[in-house]
Amino acid sequence: MRTDRTALVTLLVLSAAFAAFFVLPFAGLAKRAIEDGKTWELARSGTAQAALWLSVWTSTVTLGPDDRFGTPVAYLLSRARFPGKAIVDAAIDLPIVLPPTVAGVALLTAFGRRGLVGEPIEAWTGQTFAFTTMAVIMAQVLVAAPFYVRAARSGFDSVDRRAEAVAYTLGASKTRTFFRIVLPQVRPAIMAGTVLCWARAMGELGATLIFAGNLEGTTQTMPLAIISAFEGSSLGLAGAIALSVMLLGVALGVLVVFRLVSNQETWQA
Amino acid sequence: MSIEFDAAIRLGGFTYDARFEARNEIVVLFGHSGAGKSVTLQAIAGLVRPERGRITVDGRPMFDSAAGIHVAPQARNVGYVVQELALFPHMTVAENVAFGIPKAIDRSSRTAELLDLLRIGDLANRKPSTLSGGQRQRVALARALARDANVLLLDEPFSALDDALRVTLRRELLRLRAELGLTIVFVTHDLREAHLLADRLAVFDDGRILQFAAREEVFRRPVSRRVAELTGTSNIFAATVIENRDGTAVLDVAGARFAASAPIAAMPGSGIDVAIRGERVNLRRPGEVANAFRAMLTEEFAFGSSHTLHFKPVDTGPEVEVEIASRPYEVLGVAAGQEWLIELPASDLHVMRRE
Repeated sequence: MRTDRTALVTLLVLSAAFAAFFVLPFAGLAKRAIEDGKTWELARSGTAQAALWLSVWTSTVTLGPDDRFGTPVAYLLSRARFPGKAIVDAAIDLPIVLPPTVAGVALLTAFGRRGLVGEPIEAWTGQTFAFTTMAVIMAQVLVAAPFYVRAARSGFDSVDRRAEAVAYTLGASKTRTFFRIVLPQVRPAIMAGTVLCWARAMGELGATLIFAGNLEGTTQTMPLAIISAFEGSSLGLAGAIALSVMLLGVALGVLVVFRLVSNQETWQA
Repeated sequence: MSIEFDAAIRLGGFTYDARFEARNEIVVLFGHSGAGKSVTLQAIAGLVRPERGRITVDGRPMFDSAAGIHVAPQARNVGYVVQELALFPHMTVAENVAFGIPKAIDRSSRTAELLDLLRIGDLANRKPSTLSGGQRQRVALARALARDANVLLLDEPFSALDDALRVTLRRELLRLRAELGLTIVFVTHDLREAHLLADRLAVFDDGRILQFAAREEVFRRPVSRRVAELTGTSNIFAATVIENRDGTAVLDVAGARFAASAPIAAMPGSGIDVAIRGERVNLRRPGEVANAFRAMLTEEFAFGSSHTLHFKPVDTGPEVEVEIASRPYEVLGVAAGQEWLIELPASDLHVMRRE
């Protein structure tokens, strides 16, 4: 019994310490935000509003390609067997492991004005990517995609293959089986992946900074605005705090809404 | 309502080659797991494409390697209940059943009909996760019948259920078969289930069918020691042929002489295997009995409805396991330490070719 109690106390102490480490930074942020007195005013400034709007809409647009292209990829990775699958699997996770700055440099070498495909595309169409809002989205798509693909893939993995086989014997085509049997069961995983993907896009900094730059109103997303404020732009440290609180609020809001929605969606298999 | 099946399949290191047929009956595919029973059903359903062979349902070729025919599973119209059922978890019972009903048919009335047939009309709006094992089973059967299939493939459908429920559902299956005139291919590794349901039985082992015949034929006249073992024959002896004519052989089994039925031509002097099921052995009081030898009861196990008894020969003859129902056990007054005459009736003592 004695060892049981010791174990319990140890468990609680360690958990409390860890929890404190998580909570304290946010407490510090909240305290400064309240004491500054300028937070509300700074949050409503043009720079902050432009950054917030840019972050929200580009992150949302990012979901389009990531869902549209990520879902088939996830399905293939879950179902298909082909040589080199392990390599493809690892390659998709690469952006998770790689520092985003590397992704930024890589994007620049591919889609920059001197880039592998950037140069011919500009020669034919006059279209450039680097340092545009398009570049912001491209950076986010690349960096956030693995989060979506991984979540969706584990969703596909968890669907009973025999249910698909049964659907075929019941006369359902592969397409009908996918949309009526597979996809509905994967929906919770896809939702989770979408939220993760969106959150990752909202927080994207390194790749955007290198590939899209830090142009207010065009490529300056929230994380970039925070960096600029911190480095002494017109917003200052108080501005960095205000922007951080705004991001924190948006993130919390999304998580809460997601929980509410997904609790309604889930069923017991 | 018939299936003719002949297929060879290679799956990794596993080779499979089997042939059987089913006509307005229940054919049970029996064997250990991994023996090739499930893959047989998958080949009939079109989910696995064999390397070679020919599979027809109601005379229509579904697969024919020579003619290059491989009908898609969607077009085969066979009802298939997979292991652990794989009900669609996001759909209600009614939606599960309606899923396979062709568009041309009035789905809601057909669904109601099927739910009634399986006596689950009151479950129509429930999700599978809220159902008991037996209820799920009925849903799976109703769903498999949605396309009016004449052929039903069942892969260990009752394995997850308790004994009482199995009995009910087996009876239900026999009722369905009678009402709808179904041809059923039923996979199981449960010997009692195989015995109860089978009209004909295919014994699978390592990707081959060792014997395909009427149920009693397989149980009483196994073609080999392996079939006898798989079908639960407790007495299998090595023996030497002394004489063999007109389907009756005289054998030497552990020093004693016995007459036995011999469907094979075994030369005098050759070694064969001979089998007799425990329940076919007779216990006799000492006296003049043909095909019998003296033995002592050494061990006994009571199983409620029956007793299993072990006998050791007094001088010559084999060690024998005898199964006897409780009532005759009491009437005869069988008890340990007694000497009995063990009669191995010639018609039940069955000669098999040695492998």
